[in-house]
Amino acid sequence: MASKTSPFLFSGPVSSADKLSIVHLKRDLQIPTILKEHDEDDEGYTEGKVVNTRFGSFPHTTLIGLPWGSQVRASKVDTGSRGRRVKGQDKKRKREESVPEGPNKTPKLEDDEADASTPTTTKEESEVVAASSGFIHLLPPTPENWTSSLPHRTQVVYTPDYSYILHRIRARPGTQIIEAGAGSGSFTHASARAAFSGYPGSEGTNGSATKKRKLGKVWSFEFHEQRHEKLQKEIQDHGLEGIVQITHRDVCEGGFLVDGQSPGAESIFLDLPAPWLALPHLSRSRPPKSACGSNPASPTDDTTPFISPLNPTTPVHICTFSPCIEQVQRTISVLRKLGWVDIQMVELSQKRFEIRRERIGIANGTERGLQLTPASVDEALARLMEVEGTFKAFHENGEKVESNKKDKVNPNNREKIMESLVERKVYKEGRLVHRTEPEVKTHTSYLVFAILPIEWSEEDERKAREKWEVEMRVEDEVKVEDGGEVKMNKKARKKAAAEARKAAAAGVKAEGGDDPTEVKVEET
Amino acid sequence: MHSLVHPNVWVCLRLPSDSLKIIQVVPNTIVSLGKYGSFPANLIIERPYNLTYELLDRKPGHKDSELRIVPAAELHADTIAEEEAAKNPNGTEGEDKITIGGDGVEFQLVGENGEVIMRSNRETIDDSARQTLTMEEIEELKREGTGAGKDLIAKLMASHLGLDQKTAFSLAKYKLLKTKKYLRRFTILPVDVPMLTTWMMEEKDASKILELREEMLALIGSWSNVHFSEMPIDTGTGDGRWLVVDETGGLLAAALAERMGILYPSPSDLSPQNSEEESYRHAEPPLATSNTITLIHNNTQPNLSLLKYFSYDPTATSTSPTHPLSTHLHPLSWLQLLHPENDTVYSTPIEPVSPETLQSYKSGKRGTYYRKLRRHNRIKTIVDSTLAGGFSGLVIASHMDPVSILRHTIPLLRGGAQIAIYSPTIEPLVTLSDIYSTSRRTAFIQSPPLSFLSLQTPEERSQWQGDDDFPLNPTLLLNTSVQSARIREWQVLPGRTHPVMTAKGGAEGYLFTATRVLPAEGKVEARGKFARKKTEVKSANGNREPANKKMKVDGAVVEGDVDPMTAAALETVETQNAAFENAVKEDGSGVEVQMS
Repeated sequence: MASKTSPFLFSGPVSSADKLSIVHLKRDLQIPTILKEHDEDDEGYTEGKVVNTRFGSFPHTTLIGLPWGSQVRASKVDTGSRGRRVKGQDKKRKREESVPEGPNKTPKLEDDEADASTPTTTKEESEVVAASSGFIHLLPPTPENWTSSLPHRTQVVYTPDYSYILHRIRARPGTQIIEAGAGSGSFTHASARAAFSGYPGSEGTNGSATKKRKLGKVWSFEFHEQRHEKLQKEIQDHGLEGIVQITHRDVCEGGFLVDGQSPGAESIFLDLPAPWLALPHLSRSRPPKSACGSNPASPTDDTTPFISPLNPTTPVHICTFSPCIEQVQRTISVLRKLGWVDIQMVELSQKRFEIRRERIGIANGTERGLQLTPASVDEALARLMEVEGTFKAFHENGEKVESNKKDKVNPNNREKIMESLVERKVYKEGRLVHRTEPEVKTHTSYLVFAILPIEWSEEDERKAREKWEVEMRVEDEVKVEDGGEVKMNKKARKKAAAEARKAAAAGVKAEGGDDPTEVKVEET
Repeated sequence: MHSLVHPNVWVCLRLPSDSLKIIQVVPNTIVSLGKYGSFPANLIIERPYNLTYELLDRKPGHKDSELRIVPAAELHADTIAEEEAAKNPNGTEGEDKITIGGDGVEFQLVGENGEVIMRSNRETIDDSARQTLTMEEIEELKREGTGAGKDLIAKLMASHLGLDQKTAFSLAKYKLLKTKKYLRRFTILPVDVPMLTTWMMEEKDASKILELREEMLALIGSWSNVHFSEMPIDTGTGDGRWLVVDETGGLLAAALAERMGILYPSPSDLSPQNSEEESYRHAEPPLATSNTITLIHNNTQPNLSLLKYFSYDPTATSTSPTHPLSTHLHPLSWLQLLHPENDTVYSTPIEPVSPETLQSYKSGKRGTYYRKLRRHNRIKTIVDSTLAGGFSGLVIASHMDPVSILRHTIPLLRGGAQIAIYSPTIEPLVTLSDIYSTSRRTAFIQSPPLSFLSLQTPEERSQWQGDDDFPLNPTLLLNTSVQSARIREWQVLPGRTHPVMTAKGGAEGYLFTATRVLPAEGKVEARGKFARKKTEVKSANGNREPANKKMKVDGAVVEGDVDPMTAAALETVETQNAAFENAVKEDGSGVEVQMS
């Protein structure tokens, strides 16, 4: 198990079989692929497993063992005949399966399987031939490119949000993180990277590290069964077992204990529709009934012992992620009642920028990417003069200026564009500008942060006080130490003032004195 | 991690005014909070973090205050009481009852006659108290200082003549204002990277850390993919080495170290050192080969002053030899990177001295010898391993032109390495992005400069120093992007939820991200969608299936809009044409095309 490291954590220098890699087509278009030596799913390509993209086909054999970041040319793959036919059959078979036919279902399935497997068992996986055009880049997976390419199951927690959340909830190597509402798994991957501090069983294997390192772990919960299953498979495929433990459960009902044991959480992320229902479970001791509201599942039942899912020796940081303000208000209200402090709510806005050159001018005709308006007053003036001249010539002499349209060559054919790039260096022309990209995510969710300090009993305080004795400085002592004359005078003045005040205080009972015992007497 | 306040650590105190104060908790000393009072440090040592304390009234004759932990219930009492009041409106009609203060101060505002009736279990103030207090009186109350300022606040409010004209909300605001000024409380917080960032931004000179806000710092960490990556078994591949250029006084390095788990020493690491003589001879632990930060600095010594809050002082190596940073943080100067032969420390080998001669040295001289030897060996190891390259990422927060940094650092990155460059202003990043624009890259691929073509091996080519048209090789970075993020804080109170009214201005802060790639050798033709001419493409063998049919690939639906088999022959010329045309067009219209 330990030998199968995750490509998210240790990508190594080259891509390898059975590990996830990212096929990068272009910006915002990436395909996550687990590289396979052989086509186990039997899709019918002679080249074995193949990634088909709009920029060509890439047999996995051409992608395995390459240094990360390599640019890879497309290969000639016959996607037309074999590839598609098998797919078609697949669909047909599924349709047939869905028809409840009872008796002849089983033999039929066997038939189909035999049919599909015969050609592949006899077939040799052929050599690949490079295609003349098309390429991709092969990248190691990171939580960032996984987030932008993962199969969406629910709303995804995007990079700016999860970065900030993990930063704020102090998710660091060695941290125990609870994540409830795993969803599409983007936060799961990011938090696994943040908490990772070694695989189980690897503590102390690294020669110098003799002391035991605390191993970070993500305790993930998902109440949707299919999503849970898919995520479970992803975690296995990505080599994150042992770092992420995913449980199928509704935490609002069932709480956060795993097999009856406390995860000992230090950082918590709740991406739930009603986080306030889960909060009573996240207490250090049995929460008071008043704080739990009307949730019937809250852990106020006295019959079972309350086990806290939190680490008793560290402060716990929480973040809840809710799109609506009403959710935030309810969450914060419950947080206050449960004794969380430093409650803060923020929203995060992110922008990406488009950077390009803006070329303005009428000199070059109809070239693409050019704003066809005069770039300056001079240019406008020259144009006006030219037009005026043409008019004049027409009216005075009846001369029609010959259109020189025929001389104009389409500036947008390949030769012209290459010429403009290579000879004229248009990439250096125009003004360099930036603007916000066309679509902006203006709201993802509100982030509520809070901290639950360690419980500190009077007994703890008494022990600490014994260990760290307090010696109060007394006024007189100071007077002896730095009994400068000015100071003495000041002291004397202060004392006099205090005495005067005391006298006054005796009159106004409500004000109390500066003697605390006096106040206490009054209160009782 | 930050469970108890250990002696001699740095902690952050948040005062009622929301100002932050970083202090070192030295046992048997006094902590002074200015106008709020002072208390003995021993009262907070080995107590938990994140607690709020109240300075109690000084006992007669004492100079300092005792402390009382304010329970969370008391901190939130005001708001909870308000919420409860909103839930159960038990007042009569026309009566607006607001409880502002779980500390027992309750206001009852009666709209009809405009009279304010106040009830308090702490004190009752009669009508004659409806006077504005004079400055002297307030000063006197402050000196008396009872109830940690709560009495004072109550009196101030009672003495406010305009109180009856105030709405409930302005009343609450008024109380908050006075609370911030007079309440004698503080919260004790750990000094970690988020706290240090906030403190630098709000209390100190934000420009010293390039106005690097928390959210940007977090974003840098994610995009540079910095994480714990100590190899389970040292395979020699040296996974997880990051190259860093940090001009934020060590804040960036600290943030990355925090993500790598090498920022906080375990308490045992800080145990007292051996005798001095012993430590001279004691061989330093070997430098780590994975999970490291290689820091390039512009002065002779790196400026890492902020690391002192994490018990690490790079200038005095002997003070913190067991700190994880001393083996995992590898600083070297630009001179040592680019011209190591000109660096004295690197290029002057230390003559080995026989044990006998060494014994004859005086203790001081022996110490100097060991120190010199260690310094030389250390620099030599750092420089040599850095020049070997293969870094997993590059992180920059610097005043310097990013182009000049990248020219020297890109060749040191392995393929797939992540690059993250922070800049307080966008202009340097705009210039940088333009170097990687699609049209410039296309031009480079079509006709590379002669100075580049004359280089033979891929290694030499990756070292190419650029020219006027192509300051950097535009094919070495993929997916260049510039982004920014900003948080907006909200006030969430019953009936008064809204974004906070003011925030800090200054630099917005931008992040450039990219991935280092290895271009294929020889010419590579792009393939693109060519909508205009596509209809004219006739099937070569008659069985072409309709384009744009969706194909399923590894679970992801991918649009297969070009059928390579049938269109291959025709495509070559046509799509090349399309690609270049679109490549130029792409800048503006966002047409889907592969960027070469």
